[in-house]
This record gives sequence, structure tokens and C-alpha cells, in this order.
Amino acid sequence: MASGYDRALSVFSPDGHVFQVEYALEAVKRGTCAVGVKGKDIVVLGCEKRSAMKLQDTRITPSKIGLVDIHVCLAFAGLNADARILVDKARLEAQSHRLTVEDPVTIEYITKYVAGVQQRYTQSGGVRPFGISTLIVGFDPLDKTPRLYQTEPSGIYSAWKANAIGRSSKTVREFLERNHKDDMDRETTLKLTIKSLLEVVQTGAKNIEIAIMAPGKPLEMLPVEDIEAYVKSIEQEKAEAAKKKTGRTPGTGSAAILSRGPDE
Amino acid sequence: MSFQIPLQAQLNNNHTIRKHVLLGITGQDFTLIAASKAAMRGATVLKAADDKTRQLNKHTLMAFSGEAGDTIQFAEYIQANAQLYSMRNGIDLSPSAVANFVRGELASSLRSRKPYNVNLLLGGVDPITLKPSLYWMDYLASLAPLPYAAHGYAQYYCLSILDKHHHPDINYEQGIKILRMCTDELKRRLPIDFKGMLVKVITKDGIREVDYDDSARIDCP
Amino acid sequence: MSRRYDSRTTIFSPEGRLYQVEYALEAISHAGTALGILAKDGIVLAAERKVTSKLLEQDTSAEKLYILNDNMICAVAGMTADANILINYARQAAQKYLLTYNEDIPCEQLVRRLCDLKQGYTQHGGLRPFGVSFIYAGYDPQRQFQLYQSNPSGNYGGWKATSVGANNASAQSLLKQDYKEDCDLKEACGMAVKVLSKTMDSTKLSSEKIEFATVGKTKDGRIYHHLWGADEITALLKEHNLARDESGLDGDQKIV
Repeated sequence: MASGYDRALSVFSPDGHVFQVEYALEAVKRGTCAVGVKGKDIVVLGCEKRSAMKLQDTRITPSKIGLVDIHVCLAFAGLNADARILVDKARLEAQSHRLTVEDPVTIEYITKYVAGVQQRYTQSGGVRPFGISTLIVGFDPLDKTPRLYQTEPSGIYSAWKANAIGRSSKTVREFLERNHKDDMDRETTLKLTIKSLLEVVQTGAKNIEIAIMAPGKPLEMLPVEDIEAYVKSIEQEKAEAAKKKTGRTPGTGSAAILSRGPDE
Repeated sequence: MSFQIPLQAQLNNNHTIRKHVLLGITGQDFTLIAASKAAMRGATVLKAADDKTRQLNKHTLMAFSGEAGDTIQFAEYIQANAQLYSMRNGIDLSPSAVANFVRGELASSLRSRKPYNVNLLLGGVDPITLKPSLYWMDYLASLAPLPYAAHGYAQYYCLSILDKHHHPDINYEQGIKILRMCTDELKRRLPIDFKGMLVKVITKDGIREVDYDDSARIDCP
Repeated sequence: MSRRYDSRTTIFSPEGRLYQVEYALEAISHAGTALGILAKDGIVLAAERKVTSKLLEQDTSAEKLYILNDNMICAVAGMTADANILINYARQAAQKYLLTYNEDIPCEQLVRRLCDLKQGYTQHGGLRPFGVSFIYAGYDPQRQFQLYQSNPSGNYGGWKATSVGANNASAQSLLKQDYKEDCDLKEACGMAVKVLSKTMDSTKLSSEKIEFATVGKTKDGRIYHHLWGADEITALLKEHNLARDESGLDGDQKIV
């Protein structure tokens, strides 16, 4: 490691690594978790929210979820200050796009733009990469297909049905892989988002932030009470499932199998 | 260097531009903006359902008249900037802030090689104080906050009516009534057909188009 | 040999941390304490002055508190020279906004402008980040009185009461203990001197050791900010029984 290829900014090491980019990904992993899930006709962003300290002014604490344009929503994981700069660039591009071609940006276009900026910072002189990954969601103008993209510090972008970034994102992604289904309705999508976040957020509703995008509608932030209700019902289900597991005697278990016998 | 203003003044000395009607009226909790629906080039009406307004943010509307290409280019440039501000800051610019921003942009354009030739009315309701406001601005970038205002030939017919009937505390119905008096007078006296008026109202709840029946024929005595 | 300098700019460590930023934070933790308290009718900023000398002109050389704008003041902790650059930038940004919109810049926007500059220096600006933390006190019509804090990374947040600099941890816990929602400006001033007296080395304070400023509203609804003079600070200290005994000799003279 002491070879110096991780000290200079963004150069290849002899074995083909660009260390600064890899380290930037570590910064992302240190950030709080963010989840994006596509349903049939909505797309949901969920974020882990650090709990406010007693003396913090809750009116002002910046959010991890922000609007790029009225139809494009972005969540990030990683360095807050970096995100502010990147989101600002995206907002400028979104309006500039409207002005030059008279159309709002498509979600893919703005994702490509954000990823492009991130890529530039891995290759230009005297700069370090952005220490953030982003999830970009929304609906293209006059279109009802939900979109969800991810960008990384390296400048890679990709489209997803559901994905997670930040702290413990691997756990959450695996959970989503097991539980995501196509064409989920609003309730199921919301529940899956919150359930996946609960895999890594132990403290419940007060540390979760949920944003919902639907075609042609403004961003909707789910009220805390609603999140609480979901958390409660999820916990209840979990408790019931656990009860079933422990409360089930071996006899009833085999009976269930036996009863299925004749059908087959 | 030549003195620029007289040259610019010639630009606006164009009868087509003055035939466009822009009217603005404020009341106790609203601002009305009305603009003629005719898009004209020389002596020809190109379109009878033109919208000479752009919504800048939830509470601010801009109406414009002037050189055909300049107006839209300038209005959309301002619109994009106002919306960028809203996205970046999570709050809209107040009407007064927009007006001063527009004035600045117009003033620096005026001193460039190819200035925008636009006249503007800016109507809004302040999202915090909820006070309605109206700003009059011409292509020389002079800005005036006014209770009621007009651009073009309309000024000669409407200001006297407004002087007589306007009051800061009028309600919406009274505002529409005064507007009707103005447009009737324009129909009666203006020697051209401006194809009726598009009317929009700004309140604390946002901007909406007013269903304004313009079909009545007004005869000159 | 540009590599040599490049390698010292802010870059990620293998764990994804920015050491330069963390070192800058470390530098600030040695600076004089500054604190801010948000009251319902105003805000108070107070700071400990490190350089004290009988020969220093007291009313012209503010070390910790600065006016940014008609509606905003700030307290700094860290490298004063760096702070001067940022304060100058903030003042210009505020005036530019005033020129463009004919309105005072909203507090959060001014804080953000400054933080964007700070962020730049952690990513591409120069060889090191700015070594200053700020506490900002301001007013705007949208959110009324507001208190912010920012640090070298370019992060910021809103607070009801906060502190930076040396002994910041103990100051913070004292604030947490004593802070009352809906306290008024007078109570907040009292709390500020009490916390300062506990976090500073000497138990008895004097006007040359601390700086004090308030933002508030006059009776006719105008916003004022006020950097306190020596006599005002002394009066406040006396009121709270924290002033150094004037009749006796002070420490320096005793040694002589």
C-alpha cells in the first residue's frame, strides 16, 4: 500500500486499481443507508435518518432525500457536503435542459449527467472523487413507468428494480433480492421498503424517512405516524411468525405435510 | 461610443408592440393579470389564442409584450432561473425578489450589444406576508411597484378608468368588474381587434386562469 | 515536483475518511470556546478570547465575533486568518444577493454558500481545507431567528444551542443540561456567561477575556445585531456574580 499509488490522486496502480475511487466507495459505506424500490406505478425512496440530538434545530437539519426537478428525486449515501454540490449541479442541468429543449429531463438523462460528473472527478487533475453513491428515481415526462437508477463514485450507473446504498447495503440488497416482486401495489411497495430498512435500522420509525414518487404528482414525504403504523404491523407479523416457529410442535408440522398428501 | 438609449427607444417605437394589451390589477388578496390573445406581426394577426404569460413559481406570474422572439426567450430564461432557485432552496422567490432579479437581468441586457426588447408586468402574492403585489417594468428596465398598471396603447384607455374605480381593498368580484370596464373600453375605442383577453388570477393558493367571457360586441357611440 | 504537493491535498484514506478534514477539526478543538444560544426573541453568541493584553485596543480588534450582514453575525473558532477569508467571502455573497434580489439573503443560503466553498477546499480547492468552524446567528422572515454551526468539511446544521472550540464537549453538555425551550434573550445571555465561566480556565471572567453579541428585534419590529462593549459585558458579569474583583489586583500584576 505504501507504494504511493494510493496517495496521488486518481492514477492507476501497476495492478490496475484506481485506489482513490475504491476508497471513495468506503466513504459511501460509512454513510447511512438508503433504499429505492419500484412498485407497479410508484417508486419509493427510504432513508435511514440519524436521530436528532436534543439541542438540534429540527427545522433545518438537511435531508438525505432531495428534489432535482419536480419529477426527479434523489437520495444519497456518503459525504453530506459532497452530495450538496453534486445535487446542485444536477438541479442546474435539469433547468438548463428545460430551457434549451423545452422538455423536462428524463430520469436516465439526469442519471447519466450525475454519473458523468462523478466520472470526471476520478480523472481530472488535483481533485478527489465524490464520496457518494446516489439513487435517482422518478417518472419521465408523460410516462407511467417507474424508474430507479444508481450512480457510484466511479461514475458507473445502472438501472434497478430495487437497490440499497450506504451502510449495510449488502444485507439490505440481499433482503430485497429475496422479497422483491414485480408489479407491487403502493401498500406492498411501501411495506417492503420499510421492512428492508428495518434490517439495518433498529430504532424504528423515528429514524426512517420515506419519499414516494407517482406519475405527474409532486414528491410525497410519508408522515412519521404512517411510517410508525407500518413498522408496528411489520413487527407484529415478525412476532407472529416467530410464535408459529417456536409454538409449532413436531406433530402438527408433520400433520400439515400429511394433509397435503392426498391433493398431490 | 454612441449614446445607446435613443437607439433603443426606436426599437420600441413599433406600433405592433404597442397594440399588445397587458393589464394588471391588485386587490385585497389577489392580483389579476390580463393579456390580449392576438399574436400579431405587422398588420397581420397570426394567432388568436396566444398566451403572453409565464408562471415563474407558485405565486408569481409574468406577462410580456415586445419583439416577438425576445419576449419568449427572455421570459423562459427568467422562468428557468426562478425555478432553479426554488429547487435549490426549497422555497420560492418572493414576487418582489423576482421583480428585482428581472430588472437586473433586463438592465444588463440593455447595456449589451443586443438587448431584449420586452415590456413586462409581474403579478404575485408574497408567500410569507400573503400581500398581493404588481410590478410594472419596461424595456429600459425601469421598475415600479403599482396597484394597477398597463402596457401599450391600453394605458391611454384604462388608466383613467382604474384611477377612478380602483381601491386597494377591492375584492375579487370588484376586480373582475373593473377589468371588464377596461376591456370593454378597449374594444370600444382601440382601432384594432386584439382577439379578447386571457385573464389569470394569483392568490395565496397559486395561479389559475379565469373563465373570462369575451364574446360580447361593444359598439362605439 | 508537483506530486509532492498533490499527495498532500485532501484525499480519501483506505477507510474512506478524509484525514485532512479530521486534522482540521482537531486544530479547532484547541481554539477558544465559542457558543450560541437561540432564544425565542433573539440569539446570543459568546466567545472566549485567547489573546489578551493590556495593550490591545479592545473595541477595534474583534477576535471571535464578526458581522456578516444586516441580518446575520457569526462566531469563529480555529485559524483566524482562514476565517477572515471566509467572512470576506460571506459578506460579498450577502451583498451580491441584496443587489440581485433587493432582499437580505436567507440565513440558510448564506451558510450554504460558505459551506459550499469549504467543501470545495476538501475536494479540489487548494492544499488543505479551511481550519475554521463557525456559529451563525441570524434572522429571516421565513424561519425567524436561526442558529447554525458549520465545520471544515462543509457540513452544517441548525441548532438551539451549540458550541465549538476547546472544551466544546463540556460546554455542549452544560448547554444540554441548562437549555430551556422558550427562554428569552436575557436568560440566554445569563446562561451563556455561566457556561463560559465553567469551561474557561479562570473562574472569574473579565470583559477583555470574552466577546459577546446578540441578535434581536427592536420594539418597532426591526432586526438589530449588537457586538457588546466592554462596559456592557462587565455589567452582565456583575449581574451574574462572575466578574473578577475590581478592587484587588489581577493575576498579572501580583506576579510583578
